[in-house]
Amino acid sequence: MTSAPPRPAPPAPAAPPPPPVSSGASGGGVPAVPDRTGRALLPRGVPGRIRLITAVSVLALAVLFGTLFTAAQSVRDGLDVIGHDAGPQVVATADLYFALSDMDAQVANVLLIGGEHRLGKGRARALEVYERRRSDAGRAVLQSSALAGGDPAERRTVQAVLDGLGRYERLAARALLLDEQAGHPAGPPPRPVLEVYREATDLMRLELLPMAYNLTLESGTVVRRAHQERTLAVRAGQVLTGVAGVAALCCLVWLQVFLARRFRRVFNPALLVATAIAGMYALTGVTVLGQEADVLRAAKRDGFDSVLTLARARAVGSSMHGDQSRWLLDPERADTYEQTYLDKSQSVLYTPAGDLAAYQSAVKAAVDGDRAAFLGLVGQEAARTNLPGSGPAVAAVLARYRDFQQADRTMREAGPRRAVEQRMGRLETAFGEYDAALLRLAELHRVAFDRQIRNGEERIGELWFLLPIAMASTAVMILAGVRPRLSEYR
Amino acid sequence: MRPVTARTAGPLTVRTAAALLVLLPAAACGTGGPPSILDRETLVIGVKPDQPGLGVKVAEGRYEGFDVDVATEVARRIGVPDVRFVTALSSTRQRLIQEGTVDLVVATYSITPENRSKVTFAGPYYVAHQDTLVRAGDRAVGNVRDLKGRRLCKAAGSNSWRRVAEERRIPVELVPASSYGDCLAKLRSGAVDAVSTDDLILAGFAARDGSALRIVNAPFTDERLGIGMRKGDLDGCEAVNRAITAMYQDGTAERLLRRWFGGSGLALTLTVPQFEGCA
Repeated sequence: MTSAPPRPAPPAPAAPPPPPVSSGASGGGVPAVPDRTGRALLPRGVPGRIRLITAVSVLALAVLFGTLFTAAQSVRDGLDVIGHDAGPQVVATADLYFALSDMDAQVANVLLIGGEHRLGKGRARALEVYERRRSDAGRAVLQSSALAGGDPAERRTVQAVLDGLGRYERLAARALLLDEQAGHPAGPPPRPVLEVYREATDLMRLELLPMAYNLTLESGTVVRRAHQERTLAVRAGQVLTGVAGVAALCCLVWLQVFLARRFRRVFNPALLVATAIAGMYALTGVTVLGQEADVLRAAKRDGFDSVLTLARARAVGSSMHGDQSRWLLDPERADTYEQTYLDKSQSVLYTPAGDLAAYQSAVKAAVDGDRAAFLGLVGQEAARTNLPGSGPAVAAVLARYRDFQQADRTMREAGPRRAVEQRMGRLETAFGEYDAALLRLAELHRVAFDRQIRNGEERIGELWFLLPIAMASTAVMILAGVRPRLSEYR
Repeated sequence: MRPVTARTAGPLTVRTAAALLVLLPAAACGTGGPPSILDRETLVIGVKPDQPGLGVKVAEGRYEGFDVDVATEVARRIGVPDVRFVTALSSTRQRLIQEGTVDLVVATYSITPENRSKVTFAGPYYVAHQDTLVRAGDRAVGNVRDLKGRRLCKAAGSNSWRRVAEERRIPVELVPASSYGDCLAKLRSGAVDAVSTDDLILAGFAARDGSALRIVNAPFTDERLGIGMRKGDLDGCEAVNRAITAMYQDGTAERLLRRWFGGSGLALTLTVPQFEGCA
């Protein structure tokens, strides 16, 4: 600020000769002094103008704090939706698919084991897992139902899954009973058992699983839209805060200059402090909002999206594992099951190949050759993941997946008896290892996601905490700066 | 000129603020991405011109078939009932979407990882499977393996025969034909024993031929028929998925499937397919 040269004392005459304007035309101001500005809209007289400029400054500050308040609220909502509310629930619905598809896989295992109860992990163990998945599925349906809320289409889907689950359990129970009565050696069961199981698995794979999958996708879209709205609101809030901040600062400087010129003072310290506080707060606000918009975006992309994608990959994996049992169980439909297995494999990790054998050698070549770019659920995650420590976790997933596919090849090339043993032995282990590697990678994302959400919340919490303090202190400082000047006119 | 500073500061501030405020909505819109199919007044939809039961061009600008009916329903349900159909061939459909010539493609467009990297797909609205068509009297064929030693039609420009002869290494005798229409004629006359391709295509033909032909109902591939749109139109894609869900829930999909393929003996799936997810 320039130091004001000595000037004639306060209100008195100014340099340009005042054009005679009819007094009283513009209200509001105290016409203590004849008009000198020539502006009809501005109040004439120093106290009036001080009041006006102060009022405009306070208004600009109110807008600044108001936009900050709203934008901060959007940030909190956004973090809430994705971090605590719908986000985790959506991931939970992915568990519904996993539970359902594993139920069907376990039934296939029991039928495949037949009378040889001790094969692999054994019949009792498969039945136990079946029961556990059944209760998992029940719980996940309840969660989905809560998530569906008032959406009629989603509610209908949840209801259809619930009805279908009841039908499935009846069919599965019948197949299991018939199978126990038949007491066949390990391998394909007798025709009557197979016919009931076909009905059950078709219901599961063609009706229930698609609906469960779509539920997850649909609730994922709710999160996406909510997130998009909040992010836009935060971005807009950032721009508005910037604008309001600049406006408020200009007003305060205007007031400062006006007072300096009128009252022959270089600075008004109180106003200077108010200006500094408002400026710092506006700057902090714009910066923090920018950071928070980035946090929201990163939490969505690296956290929510990744966790959901990996949950889907896990669900698809369990149904691939089921297809392996079904391939052994039902020789007549073996081609269909081999094809669906290949399709699901391609959706997990895509590499172009006409048939399963070609696919499996391509996967081996690609993973061994450390090729980075794949398509498919796991493929894309592997390509874009860049969290600390994610490199080895991704490599582990890819390597375990390759081993799982190789074990599958061994099963398909073995004779009927050896194939069943491979399925219940080595292949089971390979699948378990692959699944565990996927879980570890998902966990890495979940931890990073939680940390981001927490940091975001802390930062916005600080801004939130300082907001009333900044408001109160600027108000006090403006008052302290303006009042003594106004009192000179009393 | 003392008052000058005092006077100009105000208007300047106001002007700056006004300028920034004007820029603001533009900035907000800019982050919303390019327009969605949901913002269109009229939807231009690409369909097949020569696929019986799915999409057949019957006159200039007029098409009929399952795909056409699905497209019409979807358009109505996403709130853009005004539609115009154009021809989309397998060789042109991706380009048509990318250039913006068409808004949607509903033309037996398979959702594959490769296609998905170029186009956003809603659906699938139906999962078709490769299946086999034989003469009704031929009871010996129960699945694709039973084609061993039989004469299989090889339609020009189609890869379906590879899935039998090459991918599954089933020793069949391939008999070339100019098109699937030609294949059907050969099957009826006894020049070939089987035609193998997407079941909806087979059903489209079989529905016209009544009971002389039989679909084996032993599917051995999954073809996820999706609705293609401009890459990145997630709002549009999600809306179309909701429309498809609703079509299955209220029985519209079942009615359409039965209307176009009901007479074919094909085992139709009448519940909503598993969506791929919008990306």
